[in-house]
Amino acid sequence: MPNTATSYQLALQQLTDSALPTGAFAHSLGFETYIDRGLVRDEASFSTWLSAFVGQQLTYSDGLAIRFLYDGTPVEELESLLTAQLLPRQLREASTKMGGRLLEIGAEVFPSAAVEAYRALVRDGRADGHQPLAFAVVARSLGVPFEEALSAYLFATMTSLTQNAVRAIPLGQNAGQRVLRKAHDDVAAAVGRILHLGWDDFGALSPGLEISQMRHERQRARMFMS
Amino acid sequence: MTVPLQKRKQGSPLTVPSPPAATPDLGPCPSPAAPNPRKLGSGPSRQWAHRELHHAAAPKSGSAASQTMSPMGQLSLQIAERGGKSVAVHQYHRGALRVLRPHYLDDSGQVCFVLVNPGGAYLGADLYLVDVEVQARASLLLTTQSATKIYRTPGSFAAQRMDLKLGEGARLELAPDQLIAYREASYRQNTRISVRPTSSLVMSEIITPGWSPDGASFKYEELRLRAEIHVEGESGGLLALDNLLIRPNAGDVTGLGFMEGFSHLGSLVVVDPRVDQTLADQFHELTAAYDAYTGISLTASRGETRGLVLRSLSNSTGELHRLLGDCTTLLRGKWYGQEPLNLRKH
Repeated sequence: MPNTATSYQLALQQLTDSALPTGAFAHSLGFETYIDRGLVRDEASFSTWLSAFVGQQLTYSDGLAIRFLYDGTPVEELESLLTAQLLPRQLREASTKMGGRLLEIGAEVFPSAAVEAYRALVRDGRADGHQPLAFAVVARSLGVPFEEALSAYLFATMTSLTQNAVRAIPLGQNAGQRVLRKAHDDVAAAVGRILHLGWDDFGALSPGLEISQMRHERQRARMFMS
Repeated sequence: MTVPLQKRKQGSPLTVPSPPAATPDLGPCPSPAAPNPRKLGSGPSRQWAHRELHHAAAPKSGSAASQTMSPMGQLSLQIAERGGKSVAVHQYHRGALRVLRPHYLDDSGQVCFVLVNPGGAYLGADLYLVDVEVQARASLLLTTQSATKIYRTPGSFAAQRMDLKLGEGARLELAPDQLIAYREASYRQNTRISVRPTSSLVMSEIITPGWSPDGASFKYEELRLRAEIHVEGESGGLLALDNLLIRPNAGDVTGLGFMEGFSHLGSLVVVDPRVDQTLADQFHELTAAYDAYTGISLTASRGETRGLVLRSLSNSTGELHRLLGDCTTLLRGKWYGQEPLNLRKH
């Protein structure tokens, strides 16, 4: 696919559309534990959680992995780092489940040598297929510039989470849209920060988010797989 | 996993202003200018060593910085198994880091070493190097004499690099006292651990909210504690990357999504081929009784071994100390028939 502004725009929209069947509707990535504890219960508290999530998890893990891939780090190395860094089991599984689906879709609708090579690694068991890397490999092969790809990934993840929160808390549809509008600033701030992080920063965790993601394994009644 | 390490080595040597004053105004803690009377041996005094660091201190930006520092303290220890008993076969220390005479807490053969920093605290541009190898079938319990205190490190940071290597069937229990970072302190702890699939590693850590003269919490600049655990061998690889970065000035770290309103953080990492979901369930039951918010999960398996990570938030060192102690007691009893640890340090 030629590397022009017009050719990747629609592809990027398709790739980040919340209707893309990666199974994102089944993952809260930890916020269901906060709902269970009564800490996330309305528009304001979910917005606070979402802001912490993009400022920590999505910045230091997903976002930084996407940047390192765009910088030319081989995907196998980033794969191994992500598997080692995502310490809550459900979070790791969420990443590889959605990543695996994204790779299948990518191979079918946006085929490229890079996507094929990555799929081969996953097939041979040399990679697990993490979501941010699957996204980055496809986006990069489509010629999407780094910052645009990063913003799109962060916002798409926040959109799925917000849609899930609308169902789970529940919130009104308009409340969900207000949360997302507010999230624009968090995305911009995260992109700015990710540009200046280094290898030592990769995978820096938030203890609270991590414990909540771990505790989700033991939650009795739950709507989500993570 | 060599890439991150290689990348960290990049960057030019740094020239820097003179090191920070070594006399922070710190109320209840021992002054580094008045070293612990127990200080013995031939290591350089703190003042002398600081002059040595004049040219080599580093600003806190640039992660290669600490690599150019000459170490303030250095310890190297090799433990081997000799007739059912673990003994030090190599021991070296330099500067402000040493170990007390080894002792045996029970008849399991496990040797216990206590790490001592005679200066009492870490200061700006201090670099401490710890290098420990536990050879095949040997067993080491490594602890500290007192809390690790990081004093103010203006324009710089204190750093500790640990290299831990475990042989086949080797066992290492790492149980340091809590970490206290004072107002305006920056600290970077980098731990690289290499295990064999049959090794057994248990390490715990407690991080306090720090200390400042007005009693406010989280007044330090930055804490970075990063550990990589690698499993050696054909089907091995990077098992866990545990990276904690707390920068109180960069945003609210106390509330929802970070410390969740708690002040203290405890961690326990266990790597052992016997780690399984049953152990995670036992830890869960055990920790439920504590006034703490605790999560437990298993890592992916690598080379026939696996890790368990326990993370806990609470409001006191004592509560976390007992919680983590209960977990290690369970392991000591279940796996080795050993009694609970009682180091009687305090």
